[in-house]
Order: sequence, then C-alpha cells, then structure tokens
Amino acid sequence: MTRLLVADDSETVLLMLQRRLEMEGYDVVTATDGLEALDRLKEAGPRQPDVILLDAMMPNMSGLEVLEELRNSGSKIPVLMISAHLDAQEPDQMRKLGATYCIPKPFEWDDLLGRIEELAS
Amino acid sequence: MRFNPSLTARLRIGFAVLFVLLGIVSLLGVGRLFQIRVDYEDDVSRYFQLELETERLRSAFILEQAAARATSANQKLNRAELNGAAGTFGDAANRAGEFTGSDIDLAAGLEQLISNEDAWRQGVAKPIVRGKLPARGVERRLTESVTDSVDGLAASTRAARDDSRDDARSDTRNTTILVAIALIGGVLAALILFSGLINSMRAPLGRLVEGARRLAGGDLKTRVEVGGPVEISTLGSAFNEMANSLERDARERDRVERMKDDFVLTVSHELRTPVTVVKGFAEMLTEQRRTLNARQYEAAEVIAESASQLQNMINDLLDLARSDAGKLRIEPEPTPVRRLAQRIGRQMRPHFEEKDQQLTVSVEKDIPDVEADPDRIGQVLANLLSNANKYAQEGAQVRLAASQVGDEIEFAVSDNGPGLGKDELDHVFDRFWRAQSGETQAVGGTGLGLAIAKSLVELHGGAISANSVPGKGATFRFVLPIAKDGRPSREGAGGKVEAKAAQ
Repeated sequence: MTRLLVADDSETVLLMLQRRLEMEGYDVVTATDGLEALDRLKEAGPRQPDVILLDAMMPNMSGLEVLEELRNSGSKIPVLMISAHLDAQEPDQMRKLGATYCIPKPFEWDDLLGRIEELAS
Repeated sequence: MRFNPSLTARLRIGFAVLFVLLGIVSLLGVGRLFQIRVDYEDDVSRYFQLELETERLRSAFILEQAAARATSANQKLNRAELNGAAGTFGDAANRAGEFTGSDIDLAAGLEQLISNEDAWRQGVAKPIVRGKLPARGVERRLTESVTDSVDGLAASTRAARDDSRDDARSDTRNTTILVAIALIGGVLAALILFSGLINSMRAPLGRLVEGARRLAGGDLKTRVEVGGPVEISTLGSAFNEMANSLERDARERDRVERMKDDFVLTVSHELRTPVTVVKGFAEMLTEQRRTLNARQYEAAEVIAESASQLQNMINDLLDLARSDAGKLRIEPEPTPVRRLAQRIGRQMRPHFEEKDQQLTVSVEKDIPDVEADPDRIGQVLANLLSNANKYAQEGAQVRLAASQVGDEIEFAVSDNGPGLGKDELDHVFDRFWRAQSGETQAVGGTGLGLAIAKSLVELHGGAISANSVPGKGATFRFVLPIAKDGRPSREGAGGKVEAKAAQ
C-alpha cells in the first residue's frame, strides 16, 4: 500500500486531502506544520512514506524549510510541493531546493492524483 | 524685506518719473529760451541807444567845429554857441558811457573819442578862441582823429549788435537741441523702464505657462519658482498650492486604490481555501453515489457545482486583482498550437454536447509554435469558447481556428449565435460588463472573463478584438507572437485537422 505524508496548516484542507486520498486507496499520515511533519517522519522509522505532500506556507516551519532539511539529511523521498503563490519566483527556488514537483493551489484533483501516482511508482 | 512693488505701483512709478522728467526738461528749456530773448532785446535796445548817442556826439562835434570857425570872425557872438556845443557833447558822452555797459571795446572806443575830442579842443578850439589859428596840418589831423573815432565807435556798436544777434540765435538753437535731446532721453528712459517692467513679468509668466503644461501633462511633482511683481508671484504661489493639493489627492487616490487591490487580493485568497474544501468534500460525496439516496446525491451535486462556480469567480477576481497590482505573471514558452487548441477543445467539448452545439477545431497546416504561457492562453481560449457556448442558442455552430498571419499566430473563436450590437462591442472587454439583451440575460458569470483575457493577451504582447454581425454571430480574435525558434510543429497528422464534436 502506498504511504503518503501530507502536511497543511489548514485542518479542513488536511482532512479533505486525507479522506480523498484514503478513498483512492492510499495510507495517509498527516501533519499541521513542518515540525510535525519531521516528527512524523522520525516516528515512521523504517516505514517511510513513498511520497510527501507539503504546503509551501505553514507556521513554525514552512514546507520549503522541511524540504531543505530533508534534502540536507540525504533523504530522496519524492516531494510534491503545493503553493498558493506559484506565480512568484517560487517554482525555481523550490526546484533548486530539490522539490520533485510543484503544483499550484487550488489544484485539480485529477492533476494531483496523477502526480502522486507518477511519483509513487 | 525686498522691495517688490506691485504691477500697478510699478506702472504708476514709471509714469510719474516719466512725466516729472519731461516737465522739468520742458520748463528749463522754455525758461532758458525766454531769458535769451529778454537778454537779446536788452542788448539790441542798448546798442541802438549807443548808436544814437554816437551820432549825437558826431553832430555835437560838427556844431563845435562850426562854432569854433565862426568865433574866429565874431568872437562874442559864438562863444556861447561853442560852449553850448561842448555841453551837448559832454552830455552825449555821459549817456553813451551808460550804454557801453560791460563791453570793454566800446568803452575803450568811447574813451578814445572823448580824449581825441579833448585833444582837438586843446589844439584847435582853444587857440581859435584866443585868436590864434592853429597850423592847418595840425587842425586837419586832430579833426580827422575825432571823426575817425566817431566812425569807429559807430562801427563797433553795429558789430556788437550783430554779435549779440548771432549769439542769441546760436543760444536759441543750442537750447532747442538740448531740450530735444533731453526729451528724447526721457522717452528712452521711460521705454527702458517699461521694458524692464515687462521683462520682470515675462520670465515668471513663462515659468508658469511651462509649469501648467507639465502639470496638465500629468507630472504632479511640477512646482514653479515664485518671482516677479506681487501679482505674478501671488499667482505662482497659488499655482504651487494647487499642484500640492493635486499631488496630495493623487497620492491619496493611489493609496485607496492600492488598499482596494490589496483587499481584493487578500479576500479572494482567503476565500479560496474554504471553497476548495467545500468543493472537495462535495465531489467526494458525489463519487460515493452508492451510499447516498437520490436527494442527498442531488444536494451534493448542487453543492459541488456551486462551489465550482464560486471557485471560478474567485480565481477571476484574483487574476484581476493581480493584474491591477502588476502581479499577474506569465511564463511564455514555445508552445505547439495544435496541441493547445485540441486540448482546450477536448476540455470544453462536454459543455457543447450539453447544448447540442457543434464545435469545430481547425488549425492551419505547418503552423509555427506560438510564444505563450500554455495554461494562461488555454484559459483565454476556454473563456472565449465558454462565452460562445453560453450565448449561442442550442444547436449553434462554434469554430476555434488558428492560423499564421504575418509573424503572428491568430486565434479566432466564432459562432453563429445572436451576436453583439455596436454599443455592446465597445464594452465587451470592460470589467463586470455582461451582454444585456433579451434572452442572453439568463446567462451567468462575473463579467470578468473577457477583461482577464484582454489582460493576459496584452501581457503576452498580443492584442484581442471582437466583431459581430447582430443576428449572424460573433468572432473574437487575438494574435500572439510566433516563438523565436518557432519551427512548424509536426505533431499529429499533417494538414487540416478538424475534430468534430460527438453528436
């Protein structure tokens, strides 16, 4: 079963993502900010997620910072960055930091599910 | 404080100085001419008197001569006459002395005459009276010297009179010239004064005109240097106050405008998350149709559909707010035209099928790639197709065509729907404007789609336009530049491909 870690600071968005992705048959772990996301990764031990979905903007620790931390620690888990500000220069910055893919917010479900499937395989 | 009289004060001062100068010059000139005339008349009458007295001296001397001759014959009888003639001569000499005045030559001439006459009396008259006739040569010499002196005095007097007349003439002429020069000088001074006055106004007035032009041209930072006469410097200060107030207003307006933009941007942004969640859950419900009864499913569908509409409106508002704030960004790249047109055609096809309309996508053979942000231009095409779909009647024909026109790619979306009137065409790209006529009123939408389409096309360096024949249909076209290395894309089948909508 494909495991996903999803981090978003909006609890309703997080719940929606969780339910929808569970409906599609994924095993979903959630976090409401970057620090919590790193905690979940530590807790997971050997059962690391196959794909990580990160909201770029989050309190305490942003998605970008989590991404930087992950890549610095040598993790190669594919990261799907979701940003509400894709019209800025962020995509370049994100790719430089090692984001596997960036997707604008609000996203189309088909688009999001397609990307996850692609990255998980 | 600097002396800066007003314009009227300057004019008054100028005129006063001018009139005073002209008055003084005129009075001095007239006085001088009068004086010259009076002096001349005095001199002339004095010289005439002197001439008269000279002639009297002459006649008195002749009488004395005659008396002296007669005395030698009849001593007693003519002694008195001799004395009388001598008295007459003395009187005339005294009066003549009064008339010589300060003229040294005349006084000397008279002196000479008197002494010569005295010499004649001593040398001729006295010996005769005593009965001794003087030597003939002596008498003639003495008599001639007296006669010569009289002639000399008369001549000198005439000469003095002529001199006096010449002097008076030349004085009159000189005075007249002086007065004329002074008058011309006064007028020149006045001209200089007035031109100075005009110049003192010209520079500040010129600055004001220049400033007003710049302000009218939209440069609200324009200020003028305040200067010149009071009236003009007051005008300058008033101009600067006006510019200050205009600039203040403009700044305030910009601030309010920015606040509004920020507000719209923030609000649409904040609205997006909850709408996304509503839509997401509603869609999830509709996908779990088996677990819902018919009414629940219907409700879920309506919620999903409305959330979707709301999301579109919010996205439109956000695009517009970004466009206003200059934050609308595009990422143009060489984009294959056929693939783009077909993707949008595919995406929109279900809507056309719903209204039983026929959508034709037609792309010119060997068309070069277009320099465009595929998502954004796709959005523009989808908007134009969506309008055709919404405004055209059921069963209408809609065509999406792309072709190369010069060094640009033209996209055209045309339909055979009701079309747009001339007035409507003028406003079709305005914000919140929607076709108002008859049956089209039922069509929903924010009225922002075409305004955004225009912004996006223009951001690409392209242009969009609309034309229509009312009752026959409408065509919206826009052009975009060809990609720099825009080779014709050869994906898909070559030649004209027309994808027919499923009937």
